[in-house]
Amino acid sequence: MQHLSQKCLGVCWTFARLRAVRQLSSKVPPKPTWEKVDFDALPKVPEVDLALVEQLERISLVEFNNETGLEWLRSSVKSANRLHVVDTEGVEPLDNVLEDRELWLCEDQVTEGNCTEQVLLNALKTEEQYFVAPPGNVPLKKRDKQHLKLGLQEDEDSS
Amino acid sequence: MGSLTIKQAIHQMRKGLLSVEELCKKCQDILKKTRVLNMYVNETDPEQLSKNLQASSQAYAQEAAKCLEGIPVSFKDAFCTSDMPTTCGSKMLLNYTPPYDATMVTRTQENGAIVIGKTNMDEFAMGSGSLDGCHGPVMNPWNFAVLPAADRHVQGANNVSEDTLSVEPGDWFISGGSSGGSAAAVASGSCLASFGSDTGGSTRLPASFCGVVGLKPTYGLLSRHGLIPLVNSMDAPGIITKTVEDCSIVLNAVAGHDVMDSTTVVESYKPFEIQEDIDLSKLHIGIPKEYHGPGLSGEVLRLWQDTADNLEKAGARVTQVSMPHTQLCITCYHVLCCCEVASNMARYDGIEFGLREGSEESTEELYAASRHQGFNDVVRSRILAGNFFLLKRNYEKFFLKAQRVRRLISNDFKNVFRSGVDVLLTPISLTDAPRYRWFANQDNHTRCEEQDVLSTPANMAGVPAISIPLSLSSQGLPLSLQLIGPHFSESSLLTVAGWLEREAQFPYLNLDALGLNEEALRR
Amino acid sequence: MRAVVLLSLFIHARSEWQSVIGLEIHAQIQSRSKLFSRAGTSYGASTNSQVSHFDAALPGTLPVLNRRCVEAGVLTALALGCDINMVSKFDRKHYFYADLPAGYQITQQRQPLAVNGQVTYVYQCSRTSRVERRSARLIQLQLEQDSGKSLHDSEQRLSLIDLNRAGVGLMEIVTAPDFCGGDDAASFVRDLRDVLVSIGTCDGKMAEGSLRVDANISVNRPGEEFGVRTEVKNLNSVKSMRAAINYEIERQIQILDTGGTVVNETRSFDLDTGETVAMRDKEKVLDYRFMPEPNLPPLVLYSQRESVPLSLPSSQRPNVVVLEEVQGQMKELPEDRRKRLETRYGVSLINSVILVRAELDELFETLVTSHGCDPGSASHVVRNNYNAFLDERKLTWRDSPIETSVLAEIVRLYHEGKVSGSAVSVLLSEKTLDGQLSVSEVIERHNLWMLRDTSVIEAAVTDVFSRNPKMIKAYKKGKVNQLDVLAAKVMKKLEGKADSRLVLTMVSERLKD
Repeated sequence: MQHLSQKCLGVCWTFARLRAVRQLSSKVPPKPTWEKVDFDALPKVPEVDLALVEQLERISLVEFNNETGLEWLRSSVKSANRLHVVDTEGVEPLDNVLEDRELWLCEDQVTEGNCTEQVLLNALKTEEQYFVAPPGNVPLKKRDKQHLKLGLQEDEDSS
Repeated sequence: MGSLTIKQAIHQMRKGLLSVEELCKKCQDILKKTRVLNMYVNETDPEQLSKNLQASSQAYAQEAAKCLEGIPVSFKDAFCTSDMPTTCGSKMLLNYTPPYDATMVTRTQENGAIVIGKTNMDEFAMGSGSLDGCHGPVMNPWNFAVLPAADRHVQGANNVSEDTLSVEPGDWFISGGSSGGSAAAVASGSCLASFGSDTGGSTRLPASFCGVVGLKPTYGLLSRHGLIPLVNSMDAPGIITKTVEDCSIVLNAVAGHDVMDSTTVVESYKPFEIQEDIDLSKLHIGIPKEYHGPGLSGEVLRLWQDTADNLEKAGARVTQVSMPHTQLCITCYHVLCCCEVASNMARYDGIEFGLREGSEESTEELYAASRHQGFNDVVRSRILAGNFFLLKRNYEKFFLKAQRVRRLISNDFKNVFRSGVDVLLTPISLTDAPRYRWFANQDNHTRCEEQDVLSTPANMAGVPAISIPLSLSSQGLPLSLQLIGPHFSESSLLTVAGWLEREAQFPYLNLDALGLNEEALRR
Repeated sequence: MRAVVLLSLFIHARSEWQSVIGLEIHAQIQSRSKLFSRAGTSYGASTNSQVSHFDAALPGTLPVLNRRCVEAGVLTALALGCDINMVSKFDRKHYFYADLPAGYQITQQRQPLAVNGQVTYVYQCSRTSRVERRSARLIQLQLEQDSGKSLHDSEQRLSLIDLNRAGVGLMEIVTAPDFCGGDDAASFVRDLRDVLVSIGTCDGKMAEGSLRVDANISVNRPGEEFGVRTEVKNLNSVKSMRAAINYEIERQIQILDTGGTVVNETRSFDLDTGETVAMRDKEKVLDYRFMPEPNLPPLVLYSQRESVPLSLPSSQRPNVVVLEEVQGQMKELPEDRRKRLETRYGVSLINSVILVRAELDELFETLVTSHGCDPGSASHVVRNNYNAFLDERKLTWRDSPIETSVLAEIVRLYHEGKVSGSAVSVLLSEKTLDGQLSVSEVIERHNLWMLRDTSVIEAAVTDVFSRNPKMIKAYKKGKVNQLDVLAAKVMKKLEGKADSRLVLTMVSERLKD
């Protein structure tokens, strides 16, 4: 019953709006105003090959799980390429919308630290107040990229 | 009791017509009954809660009540809380309890608010549907108002669990994201205000789908200390409330310089009150034509048109303006977002905190395994893309290019406000809340690219923007519009929003009225 | 940068090779708290006790810049003759390492605090006594975070991480490739350290890690382009710096001489073996993916207090760094102090270097100007005897038990030839013990008067000569250093009480026979 009344209200609302006589011409454009992007006029999209995949995985310490992941990177790069539709000659990059503000500087006083317990609280492995890490600077084992082979093969074929 | 606003609640508690405990219990009852919506991921410990309630009670008794005294609020699970885990919707932080509170949490509590829980979200705030967090999706409370009763069955007394409501799987409406939990929490009445975050529309979009007010303040007005970041140069804590006035009350309580966040502005913040009698003839509204983007529904378009007309009828000057780089916003956002994500996520290695799983042969092996287990596909793919854009050979072509385009987008706003426009009126979402079945047909990225087109521009420029519910669609779901103003114009922005709100008389969701009370359930 | 080096290049004795070295010096800023957090910076604090939430890279934490670190950077840049960038920016440099919790370091790559700069330093050869002034160019000075420390346990195959050092402020000083060998680079670093210590921006304690050096080394044939360079990291003493650079030059020359190619890589130095070892995986060079630090708006400096705009919020105005005010903290730099000793008092370069480095130049000046001491004798006594005296007792001249007036008297006696150089050392120790006695009384009591009787000296010379016929033979065969050795033996026989110059002359005369 309550549901019906709510839906009724919605319908009435819309109906009332439809019936309203527009006395002023609306400034709202009646049709979508976006322009089509001419992809051919854009610079060539960089390729995604095995070397790149391995480099990205190494610097991200995250893997491309499957071909979907690879496809996503490709479409992401293609999408990003759309930025070249506009000429930005002479335009400065914007780091921060507060670029006309200056950095706040703090007094040199020790008001933090001395909270070893807090800092170690969420670490799964500790030893006598130290964090524990495995040995470092050992590169990742080379993994078989069979699951990506198809995706990468296509790329090589098309180039 | 209905669904109170903060203003009403404070008034009643001051007068002794309502107790702090009663209000909190009311909210918690709704929370319990609407568990199926999956809005909350954690709730405050009852003992702690009771202490806080007592303190607020005393404050009223001693006539020392602060501006949010006794008001139940919730926080998106991206805000650090030291008395509850903060997971950010990710397995990576499932067991992480921060040793400190976010400034938004501290300031809210200092003003007497009662934090009742943490709300659900997309993992690390990446998503526009609140479907991709590790705690599961958030459902829109408007399901109860819109779906036929037959699709909503109440679990009977046979069931061991408490009386709750359920919704037919697959056929429900999404809450929007990534602050879906927060928007749903306020819409359902389980709390009177909630903090979300807004990087590309993550507060305004779910607010729009859930029929509540969602404010993304000027970048730098609200402190991000303790808000786990998505894109540091665009993130802003978002305020979600039922009404515009409530929004101003919360904003006044928390805005202003924070030494712990070097991107907050140093100028003293001047709290303001919403003026009701405004002279619209002094107001110049701009309608940016580029906001009629692809996929905008007829209903949203008509709402936009009607509202523009109503403003003009009431005396405001309404002109069409152009913001030529609007179309590029979503692409620009995508590049900068991925780059910052790649950087911000580099700290998740399992050594100091977070998930730690896998081979301990080397740091590289451990990091890779932990990050594989801890991050979902969306996060991982953004990291990989971000690192691609940041490579030396790509930096100029993609990252710097995006930063230059960002300046052009920001200049669009500067130019339009310099030309005399006081505030922009635009749609915020393309349609009313989509059904899950339809939304889930496409992946997270595609949906973000599609849904965030009207919200990302304000984040690019750092300008304040507010989403206000104004009417219902033919499906009976909320429809909202967006107002955008120049930097630090929250006072005038909310004043105009308040005017629209009063004109619209939007029928807020009232779960009580739908019979979600004990008696109805027992029937 | 590839222009011909200003000074004469050191042509390798072994073959026709030139070596080119550029340095990156990391100097820890002397401040109470860290660069971007307010945790403490004391050396030797208990593990992970000086770590804030931000230093541990806990999610949601943000950097807040320490004003003292900015002032230290500016003061250092001014002392090194750099151009200050009135607006500078911060960047993130990404790489994974257990002692870098955030997965990136905050540094200044695009627009550092200061650029260019020039340092005059005194080159000292470690094998000969050659000293000369040289000049080196600086590329830039930037502020950045230090990393934590890892202790490697190879047995258990793990690393223990202490983040006390993580986030401490560093000034990275990058030089042009203006150095030509280990001695050259070591001389520069010693002088640079003296500058930083004198202005109080770094305590220069290399053993504690306050100052570390990375060296970029390459070799090439004269006239050809610079060769492929390697980077030797984390050199934490002048000694290891010298040894590492010299070893690396040799290593590269050997490779190239036998037709190989030098690999562009990072290496570390093992002081025990005296060798450099490849550090990282020899694959492609790591891409640091520099990105602007989004949480830090630009750092703005002002030249004068009056130029701070009124539009700046009143709560922020006292915090800003003003160049004029920083300049006011400038001290007299070591090079200026050296020049003054040389020009005003005729002190030799090597002596001025020692006096200034030992912080005894002020004492020297007091002796000469206030006590009328002869500059030559004063510099000799202070540099040779007094320096060692203070060093042994770990004192500075201000808290020495020997009053300046007493020292002046000793210098005068030395100057008048009444006590020998060696006797002065004994005199200083004994005067300390017998505080009540006057200088003359101490000399009397311990029989320290200069030996005047040449017959006694002659007898000592005869005695030494009779015991060391081999040395005399060696000298006559051309081993000239035997003269000094014989003279030293005579001095020893005379218990150091004779005038060393006279002894040397007499020994030299006798050898002519």
